[in-house]
Parts: sequence; structure tokens; C-alpha cells
Amino acid sequence: MYQKVSVLIIEDEKSICDFISKTLSGSDYKVVTASNGKDGLAAITSSLPDLVLLDLGLPDMDGIDIIKKTREWSSMPIIVISARTQEKEKVIALDAGADDYITKPFGTSELLARIRTAIRHNNKMANASVNSNRPYSADGLVIDFEKRLVTLGGQEIHLTRVEYKIVSLLAQHSGKVMTYDTLINQVWGPYADDNNRILRVNMANIRRKLETNPGEPKYIFTELGVGYRMLEDEGI
Amino acid sequence: MQKTLTEMEKEYIRLQRKDFFFCFAIFAAVTVIAFFFTQRASDPTLNIAMLYTLGIFIITRYTEGYLYGILFSLLSMLSMNFFFTYPYGTFNFTLEGYQMTFLGMLVIGTVTSAMSTNMKEQSRKMLAQEKELAKKGKALMEAEKEKMRANLLRAVSHDLRTPLTGIIGNSASYLEMEDKLSDDEKRDLVIYVNNDANWLLNMVENLLSVTRIDNDTAKVNKELESVDEVVSAAVIQFKKRFQNAEVRVKVSDEDIMVMMDAMLIQQVILNILQNAQLHAKSKQALELTITEKENNVFFHIRDYGVGIDEDKLETIFDGEGYRKENKDETTRSDGYKGMGIGLSICKTIIHAHGGEIRAKNHPDGAEFIFSLPEETEE
Repeated sequence: MYQKVSVLIIEDEKSICDFISKTLSGSDYKVVTASNGKDGLAAITSSLPDLVLLDLGLPDMDGIDIIKKTREWSSMPIIVISARTQEKEKVIALDAGADDYITKPFGTSELLARIRTAIRHNNKMANASVNSNRPYSADGLVIDFEKRLVTLGGQEIHLTRVEYKIVSLLAQHSGKVMTYDTLINQVWGPYADDNNRILRVNMANIRRKLETNPGEPKYIFTELGVGYRMLEDEGI
Repeated sequence: MQKTLTEMEKEYIRLQRKDFFFCFAIFAAVTVIAFFFTQRASDPTLNIAMLYTLGIFIITRYTEGYLYGILFSLLSMLSMNFFFTYPYGTFNFTLEGYQMTFLGMLVIGTVTSAMSTNMKEQSRKMLAQEKELAKKGKALMEAEKEKMRANLLRAVSHDLRTPLTGIIGNSASYLEMEDKLSDDEKRDLVIYVNNDANWLLNMVENLLSVTRIDNDTAKVNKELESVDEVVSAAVIQFKKRFQNAEVRVKVSDEDIMVMMDAMLIQQVILNILQNAQLHAKSKQALELTITEKENNVFFHIRDYGVGIDEDKLETIFDGEGYRKENKDETTRSDGYKGMGIGLSICKTIIHAHGGEIRAKNHPDGAEFIFSLPEETEE
């Protein structure tokens, strides 16, 4: 008898909450729901879910505060549910410690994929010492972190030092969106210019090296106004 | 405008008093100058008469009505008689030619008064007319704005109601006739609901995007963005909704950075792609090509479908063409999925960026082109 993965849904719209919980129950998740921030926080501490789905627009408190409060003591994956046009809100949530976001409206397959990714990442972090150096591999693109070698269909791709740093960061967090600020901080350090132009220029070069058609990328996707997301590693 | 009658009266009295004092002040000044003349000039009478005439001109120019002009000419006659003609210091009305001079002064006073009053009246009328015109122009602009707003609202509520009717109708049929329907029929109903809801969402997002444009300045919040990224994000968004749709994307060899609101430009690309997908019945994959010319970036979206009626090419972005089209359409399937609102929003967005948008036909279909100026970051 295996243990079902438990998901806490914090969402005040009953119809959306019902739709998500039906989908998840149908896919063999154990579902707990809360319809406001107070109950949500209580449920996080009492039922210790494996993952939290959090709507940012709650009636009683700001969803960002829930992320911050939870991050004080736990690294459980939190996926934020947000509207498409509010890219600022997404960035704030990610920078506050959310693992990922999903844009309303979303289909069931997209939702399930995001949940799987987040849970897998959390497990990977837990076993970080075991397999952190395992190469990234997806759709012909292989990144060997030990040799610092990038190959596409067996062909070596020559990246500059900065380009490699960006690509390897994205690959290590593949499937998850990384905000511009996170990338800039990790590549250029905390005192870098907060203008993300230099990042864009590097990304444009990377795309021209990795993608057959930079207008229809296969590996690195742009989340407008938020950051970049790399195609999920097939190996994990 | 809002003054009460007594206030208006007060104002009138104040003005009258002002004119009265003005009249006397000028009279005193002229008389003093005239005395000065008697000291210096050999034949002062003629000069003095001219001085008083000048006084009449000044009075009529700066006072209201005929009254003070005439009053001043009377005063000047008396003063000339008293001070400046022999015997000095007394009135003598029997002097030779005096009646003629007197009459002359009076006539000058009256005529100049009348003329300047007339002139003042005319300039006042012109000023009022100008004001009236400006007011009318403003009212006309407001009315035009109001009309646009009303049109948009009408189109929006029509566009919202139609899919909602579909959603309510189809879901109601499902609920009421669940037992009688075959699985395929049930599926069809749900597909209708899903399509209509998607369409509604698209509509709402379009309307929301307009709120990112500043109401007063019609400007947007621009940042330096990569054309590649905006294009690819729009195409991904498009394929999320139309899973079977094909788009051939060709960006420029070098990535171009342009000042824009990326979310809005994504919306524009999305709208045009969706229009092509829903209306053009394209026989080949849609094409999205980026070109660069004279400091402008051009986005070309080309379909290989039925093309656009030549007479609609001009108005296609005005929201007007859309309603005409709606009247013609009798089939339910595509009727409400009019091009209007999406395209008029595209135009608004592109113009707010200082760019241009147009549509044209090519031998195998239609092409939408919009441009964004390449400006340097402030």
C-alpha cells in the first residue's frame, strides 16, 4: 500500500476549487481544501501537505504573506495560481519563495504537469548530494555539468562562460520558471545593474546557438515579464 | 454667469463710477497740459482744441457708451471758453465763431463715441463667437468620444451575450436531457461550452489589455524587449488554444530590441493569429515574419485563405466593419466571432506605441502588417 501524495488547495472560488480537487482526486492525489488565508495557513501547519496550490487573490489576506509565513519553516512546494496579465504579481510571488505559477485559466494536463514537476524538484533537492551532477538531457540537448559540456544531437555547442552559466542554471531548475532577478543575481552577483538588458542579449545569443528556429524555441521558453523556463529534464 | 441681479447692478455702478472718474482725470490732465501750452506757444487756441480732441478719443476708447464722450466735449468747450479764450477766467458765449467750434467739438465727441462703441461691440461679438466655436469643438470631441464609448459598449455587450447564451443553452440542454442524449451529443455540447468560454476569455483579456494604456495620454509603459521573445511567447499562447494550428515563424538573424509593452504586443500578435485561424480558412500554415527597415520593426502575419473584402480593408480596424459583417453573417458558428473588437484593440495598442497597422490582400490570402519604431531607451 503506497502513500498518496497530498495537495492543499487554498482557493476562495468554490467552482474553481471543486474543479481542481476533482481533477486531482481523479489522478490519485489526496486533496485538502481551504477557502481563505487563515484556514489555509492552519491547514499547512496541521496537515503538512506535499504541495500547496495557492490562489493569490484571497478574501482575507494577501497570498504573498502565506508564502512568506510558510517559507519561514518549510520548503514544501508552493504553486501559485494567477491571472495572465498580472506578471508583476507572479514575480513577487516567485521572489517570495513560490516554486512555480500557473496561469488562469489552465487545463488539467498543464496543472498535473506543474504539480509533478514541483514535487519531483522537491524530491531532487532532498537527495541533492546523490545526483546533483547527473547530466541534463531533453530532446537531444545534453548538458554535462561535470565536464561543462553542452551538446545538441551529439554536436558540441560553444557557449561563452556567461552563456554556459545561464544555461546550466536554467537546466538545473528545468521545468520551473526562473525570474530575471534570480538569474541576474546568480550570474552577475548581487551588485549587478538591475537592468535586465544584458541578460536579454545573452539569451538572444543562446537561442541562436541552441534553437533551430529562435522564433519557435524548443528548449528555453520566455515567460513574458517574468523570466525563462527550460524544457523539463527527461532524466529525472 | 452666476451673479445675482443685485451683484450685476453693483458691478454696473462700479463701472460707471470708474468711467466717471476716468473722464474727470483725463479732463484735468488735458487742462493742465493746455495751461502749459499757453505759456509756450504763440497761438495756443488751435493746439488746445486739438488737445481736447485727443482727450475725446481717449475717453471714447476707454469708457462704455456715448455718455462720457459727450460729457467730455461739453466740459472741454466750457473749459476752453473759461480758461483759454479772452476774456480769461470768465464765460463768454458771444465770441465770434464760438458756436461753430462748440458744435464741431460736440460732433467729434458724439461721432467718435459712436464709432468706438460700435467697434467695441463688434470685437466683443467676435470674441463671443470664438468662445462659442471653441466650446462647440470641445462638445463635438466629447460627443465623438462618447459615441465611440457607446459603440464599444454595444459591441462588447453583444459579443459577451452571444457566447454566454451559447454556454447557458448548451449546458442547460445537457442538464435537462442527460438521459436522452448519446455520448457523442453530450460531448458536442461540452465542446460548444468550451469554445464559447475560450472565446469569452479572449474577449475579456483584450478588454483588460486596454486598461494598460493611459487614459489621458494614450501612451503605454514601454520597456526594452526582445522581439524574439515576444513573438515566441505569442505563438506558444496561440498554440495553447489552437492545438492543431500551424505557424511558420521567421525572426530576423539578429535579435532586435524594441521599446514596447510586451504583454500588449503579444496580445496584438495573438489577436491577428486568431483572426486568421478563425476566419481565413487558410490552406497552408500561417506565417509570422519579422523584418527591419529604416528604424522600424515590421511584423508580418500572412494567411493563405479567403482574403478580405477590398471595401473592408480600410475600416477593418475601426470596429465598424465588424458590425456590418455581423449583419451579413447568418450562420451561428462564426457569426459573433467578429473581427471587430480584437482588431480595433490592435490598432489602439499599435498607435499607442507610435507604430502603424494595416491589412492587405495578396494573391493567395491576406496579410496583416504592423510596425514598431526602434527608439533608444531614455
